[in-house]
Amino acid sequence: MNSIDLSKVVAGFTDVARNSQAVFRQALHALSHPGLIVPLTVDSAIPAHANPGSAVLLLALLDADSRLWLSSSLSQSDAANWIVFHSNCSVVQNPAEADFAWVADISELPLLKDFNPGTDEYPDQSTTIMLDVSALNTQADTRTALTLHGPGIESQQDLNLSSIPTAHLASLVAQWQINHAQFPKGVDIFLADSSHLVGLPRTTHIQMPQSEQDHKA
Amino acid sequence: MLQSSDNLIKSTSSSKRSEWMALLARSPLEMLEQALKRYVTDTPQWLRRPETGLMMIEGRMGGTGARFNVGEVTVTRCALRLARAAADAPVGIAYVLGRSHQHAYLAATADALLLSPEHNDLEQTLLAPIREHLAQIKKNRQQQADSSKVEFFTVARETGQDNDSESSE
Repeated sequence: MNSIDLSKVVAGFTDVARNSQAVFRQALHALSHPGLIVPLTVDSAIPAHANPGSAVLLLALLDADSRLWLSSSLSQSDAANWIVFHSNCSVVQNPAEADFAWVADISELPLLKDFNPGTDEYPDQSTTIMLDVSALNTQADTRTALTLHGPGIESQQDLNLSSIPTAHLASLVAQWQINHAQFPKGVDIFLADSSHLVGLPRTTHIQMPQSEQDHKA
Repeated sequence: MLQSSDNLIKSTSSSKRSEWMALLARSPLEMLEQALKRYVTDTPQWLRRPETGLMMIEGRMGGTGARFNVGEVTVTRCALRLARAAADAPVGIAYVLGRSHQHAYLAATADALLLSPEHNDLEQTLLAPIREHLAQIKKNRQQQADSSKVEFFTVARETGQDNDSESSE
């Protein structure tokens, strides 16, 4: 059993049962409406080096059986001790072994294929990735927004991720198309800022902004 | 099922700490209440509110054999920082048999107090009486058992003689 340095650990949910259920409901809503920006109830103390949105999401979802992979800036921070203390999850070094991954910035995101895609028999055992973004922009500017299609979206959903550098975004979308193609296997992604959540299940088809496509053509 | 991943704290005096944590967990509730009365007037900063759950107790056959699961016990645990303590102040932790939230709260408070050097007096005012009390209980039980003790002198002597005669042959 590993010992935890508790010196920087802060409290968890104010009301564990109600708060975690509220967050779980919001996560469910986000995954069933891909690309929709869902407000998150953040009623918890948050470690200094953590993004509140993804922190409460992990706090609600993780338990002692979960294996968590942390990106480089999180793995040595107070956030790691905090989530291990409150959820009792184990931390793994290899993204392929992780049930959940917490990525503090898109620049620290490994390739999507490095995570566990699940198996054809058990596609539910794939990694779920929590990716922190600085802001989820509710103003849908169709020129710079990603275009989303798929189950849970009636015709088309726009998602503006202007806080992510275009090069990183293009790489993510390219990898996502491979991830989407290997259905039923594949990873799911939650994007979270300090108080909002966006779910990207593996069933969602993502296209780059119209302006970028024009630029390439 | 509760898992005690946080009760092995990196600390220079961890053996001393585990000793007092054990004393606090075994102490009668009244002794804790008496000694800690003036420290528990304010609500502490909870890291983990008192919660009751099950823990698996493991044993070894004869104290040396392979591990086996003895059974589950009810345990109440909590973790806290003292009221008005700094954000990086020591964290008091308690794991106590039974369902008493108050006992876990008081034991964790005492643990947090004992971790800060300015409360050295608790060693005398709290730990020493508990140690004495537990020793007394042990002594009483020992005496009770001793009162029904039977010494089989005859058997012991005969066995001894047999052994002697065998070894001399």
